[in-house]
Amino acid sequence: LQVRTIVLGAALSAAPGLLYGQFDFHVAGRDVQVHSFASQGFAYSNQNNFLTMKTSDGAGFTDYGVNVSTQLTDKLRVGAQTYGRSMGRLGAWMPSVDWAQADYRFKDWFGIRAGKVKSTLGLYNDTQDMGFLHTWALLPQSAYPADFRSDYIAHEGADIYGNIPVKKAGSFAYVLWGGRRPNDPNGGMKLALQDNAGGKIIMKELKHAVVEGADLRWSTPVSGLLVGASLIATTFEVDGPYTLQPSGITADLSLDVKKSHTQAYYAQYSHGKLRLDAEYRRTWAIRQADITGPVTGTQFITQDARYGYVSAAYRVSKLLEVGAYHSRFYPNWPVARATDNGHVFDNAVTARFDLRNYLDLKLEGHFMDGYGGVASLPRAFYPSDNPQGMKPTTNMFVVRLEYHM
Amino acid sequence: MKYFQRFLLPAVVAVASLQLAAAADLKIIANPGVTAASVSSDELKAVFLATKTSLGDGHVEPVLAKGGAAHEAFLKAYIGKTEAALETYYRSLVFTGKGSMPKAFASDAEVAAYVAKTKGAVGYVSAGASPAGVKTLEVK
Repeated sequence: LQVRTIVLGAALSAAPGLLYGQFDFHVAGRDVQVHSFASQGFAYSNQNNFLTMKTSDGAGFTDYGVNVSTQLTDKLRVGAQTYGRSMGRLGAWMPSVDWAQADYRFKDWFGIRAGKVKSTLGLYNDTQDMGFLHTWALLPQSAYPADFRSDYIAHEGADIYGNIPVKKAGSFAYVLWGGRRPNDPNGGMKLALQDNAGGKIIMKELKHAVVEGADLRWSTPVSGLLVGASLIATTFEVDGPYTLQPSGITADLSLDVKKSHTQAYYAQYSHGKLRLDAEYRRTWAIRQADITGPVTGTQFITQDARYGYVSAAYRVSKLLEVGAYHSRFYPNWPVARATDNGHVFDNAVTARFDLRNYLDLKLEGHFMDGYGGVASLPRAFYPSDNPQGMKPTTNMFVVRLEYHM
Repeated sequence: MKYFQRFLLPAVVAVASLQLAAAADLKIIANPGVTAASVSSDELKAVFLATKTSLGDGHVEPVLAKGGAAHEAFLKAYIGKTEAALETYYRSLVFTGKGSMPKAFASDAEVAAYVAKTKGAVGYVSAGASPAGVKTLEVK
């Protein structure tokens, strides 16, 4: 991994200036654009291992993507993007279809996208993979958990969308969407179920995974001020063997997520070189676990997670942007949120250097308190990555080199 | 109220004056096939943020300058984003499949030449430029 990391890093650093700008060509008189990106990160933490990586020893992480798109007619646009990553036990370098869609805009206030479509949630859900679009090496993990990206990033279905100007009141953009929730065999949900403190669940099958959502954002008459709200509702069922701890007895499990609703409220204010973001989210979930085999029983599990962040970024010069955020995640708000297992607080500071138009380097410090979720559904901090036991705080340094064209 | 009169009002007037001055340095041009004769500043912003794809009854395509005084004046007067923020905005469209990267050219002459030959193209040049083969849109 280290050799691969060094080679990729060197290749990114040496990317020639002629790669600046997109690569495009013409087919039947239509402009076809090809864009790509890749990044190489490195994380080192002083305590707990983070995001399935052995960060306490220093760990590299990589991602990449390439897309092709064209405007077939004035109203019809088609395109597709592949994405792959390697981040600890996540991704396994396997490329997958990130999005592949046809988009027909009947009017500016009414269009339809169909295929595999990026899901709109909060400020950055649909762009969370593209680090070069953001100030941060790692987005606030409360709202944009890198391990659970594939659970929210896209849906196989359709969007209805549009923009509606309202004269002096600014403009509104809306999206209504729905479809099938994709299954990621190399994603965080599978790992979280395996690392469940109550018992080890091997996810054999994801069934009846349906997701639907809505987003409404208002570009207010106040210059630079955007406010919005999103909603996601999802249901799905996980089947597989379940090994109870500490007895070691294995039974068959059907875990039925009967309801999982996420509400997101967000605001962004930009003025000159300053950008302020804030997001607040709440997720309610009701799960029914039916166990059959040597032991039988039915259990209902409820979860009320609350999380969000505030951030500020300032572009000092064309070369340098600096920023900081405070992120909070409470995996189950009503339960013991003062304990280390009841929350994750993350204070991050970043310097982003735009070395070229197509290349940036980020240096980022994280100062985290807590490892919330380990006792129920782990997120970012996994017991199997931390067999020595969890420490209450984790400081982490992240370097990330990003290329795009 | 005194605070408003002493500090906020002059600041608002100063910002508006700067925007007007920036707008005065510009000429908004379009392909002769674009039927609209004028455009509001909100419509112009929407066209360049790809949330509005038609003017009058025809499809339009924004055309950018790569840096320069006209580009900076245009961003200040109509878009309200820095160059870096606008680039990030376009890239977010491109990498989510929601739009294309607009064409960008290094000089007024190149912008005007592309607008002149491309159906629906809308661009901007310095106020002193006199490009041929394009129409000038009045900004209301």
